[in-house]
Formats: sequence, C-alpha cells, structure tokens
Amino acid sequence: MIPPPDDAATAATGRDPLAGVTPGRLFASFLKMGLLGFGGVLPWARRVVVDERGWLSDRDFAETMGLCQVLPGPNVVNLAVIIGSRSQGPFGALLAVTGILFVPIAVMLAMAIFYAEVAHHPLARHAIAAASAAAAGLIIGTAVRLFIKARPPLRGLLTGTAAFVAVGVLHWPLVWVALALMAGGVAAEWRAST
Amino acid sequence: MTAGGSHVVIELAVRFAALSLVAIGGISAILPEIHRVVVDVQGWMTSGEFADLFALAQLAPGPNAMFVSLVGWKVAGLAGAIVATAAACGPSSVLCYWVARWAERARTTRILPVLRRALAPIAIGFILASGYTLAQGADRSPGALALTAVAAVALAFTRVNPVWILVAAAVAGAMGLA
Repeated sequence: MIPPPDDAATAATGRDPLAGVTPGRLFASFLKMGLLGFGGVLPWARRVVVDERGWLSDRDFAETMGLCQVLPGPNVVNLAVIIGSRSQGPFGALLAVTGILFVPIAVMLAMAIFYAEVAHHPLARHAIAAASAAAAGLIIGTAVRLFIKARPPLRGLLTGTAAFVAVGVLHWPLVWVALALMAGGVAAEWRAST
Repeated sequence: MTAGGSHVVIELAVRFAALSLVAIGGISAILPEIHRVVVDVQGWMTSGEFADLFALAQLAPGPNAMFVSLVGWKVAGLAGAIVATAAACGPSSVLCYWVARWAERARTTRILPVLRRALAPIAIGFILASGYTLAQGADRSPGALALTAVAAVALAFTRVNPVWILVAAAVAGAMGLA
C-alpha cells in the first residue's frame, strides 16, 4: 500500500540511532509504552524514546510531537508511525502502531467484559458512574490546560469558540465544521504571518 | 451485548474512517461526533452507556484512542473492535507517514507553524465540546457535577496522574459519596 522510504532520506540520516533498531526491539518498546500508559501514554513515550533508548533527543521529540499534534489522529499513534517508519519503513510503522495499541486493547476488552458481568451490582454502577463524571472533567481540564498553554489571539478565540458551539451545543456534523474552520483559520493565520 | 450484523461493521468502518482525517487533537476531539452517530443517529447505545464506556477506556492502560475500539466492541463484538480501531487510526496514520517524510525536507518552511497556530484553537474547541458532551451523558446529580469540576481543576492545574483521579472518583462513587 505504501512504497518503501526513499534512499535519499535514509542516506541523509546515516547516523540515525533508529536505523539499527531491530523489528523485535521496536515492537517491544512500543508495547511497553502502551502497557505502562495508565492515564496517558505520552509521558511514557518520552521516557522510553528519549531517556531509555536514546532514539530521539529531547528537542527532536518535542518537534516530532508538535507535528503529531497538528496532524489528525491519535498523537501517540502518529508518533509510533513516525518513529516506526524511520526505523523500518512502512513495516516498522505497522509494528510500532500494533505494539502500542493491540495489547492494551486486549486488556481493555477484558476489563469491559468483567464490567459487563458486574454491571448490575449497585456498587459497580455507582463506581463507574462516578468515574465517568470524573472522566468528563478530565477532558474539560485537558481543554483548559491546552488553552492556557496556547494563549490564542482573538482570531483563535473565535475559531475555538465556533468549534465548541457548532459541535458541542448545536450538534452539527464535525467533519464539515472542521473543514470549514480549518480553511478559515489557516487563511487568517497565513495572512497574519506575512 | 452487541447490535451485530455485517452492515453494522461496514457502517462503523465508513464513519470512523471519515472521522480519522479530521481528528485534529486526537480522539478526544471527535467524541461529540462519535456520540452523535452511535447514540443519536444509530441508537446503538444510550448516552449513559457511552459515558460509562469512555470511563472504562480511560481506566485501562494505553492510548485513550482505544475508546473507539470499545465502541466497536459494544456495537459489533470483536470484529467491530478491530474494524473500528483500524478505521479510526488507518487513514490518519497513512497521512502522518507521508507528511512526516515531507516535513523532514520542509523543516524550515512557514506552513508548519502557521498550521499549528491555526489548528490548535479549533482542536481545543472540539476537546471542550467532548468534555461537555460526556458531562451531559454522565450522571447529573450534584455530587457527580462536583466530581466533574474537581477532576477538571485537578487535571488543568496539577500534575496528578489522571488515573488516580478516576480511581478516587470510582471509590467515592462506590462509597455513595457521589
């Protein structure tokens, strides 16, 4: 489906520490990040990729995450695609994504099956209802945290508010809202940057 | 447990594949749309079940993107889980693969910072909409609303691991405090 990476890129990064990584080690590393990532994988991803394996410098990691955040899709899955493909091409990307996703998914499904067994019990019901109220708070808190960090100018406040109202309050289909706001937002930002 | 059938699996694949390419900010940004499709349009589950599944996904280790796998599982069993995951992550991963190769060469161009500044507020708006949607699906008692508020503040202003926030909330709920 995806052609192998071109030789120019491989040659340019001849001393890339990722080039010598075996498929088994690549898979095992991403498996570790996924399994240890209670409450979010990102802190563990940084620890394994930068501190333990030395695959990327702190600066490279921050830049790569910046790219992952701009792109659609789960950030850590995008990170797995980028690191995996730098190591082993498309096959490496597939290995890394599988490593970070599929065992955690198996664990989660086991938890879901267990929950389905005990769901009728009032104790379990109350526990999960409280956890889901808190989980909603975690997402709201994430938005607040990102907002404080981004400190968007007025045009950003406008697109952000429009995104919230259109999707959260008016329940408009997200695909069209996203496309329209992305076009408008990029155009405004491009003009502001010249 | 499942709403089953191959047409359901195909429906899941098409819906999630389309969302994959606009999920700026990750799965947290497209929760209202997943909610709209699986609760409002298809009626595969209630708003409360949706919120419960989300809490389960957050409690499990791994990327919170796995919530889509859980939705797939609820709707169409193991096949649903696999198809939903592949559809939600596949198109965005292929795009990421190509853009990363291009970005290696285009590091110094103006377009990347422009994209980052333009897309960040939209992603934040979508993530806030996700939290709002989940809060509406969760229990609306005063105790539950207080938990939502405390969790939001704890995440935004402290460095506590979010799993402990969820575990503390679950314990409080089991003890009848919320």
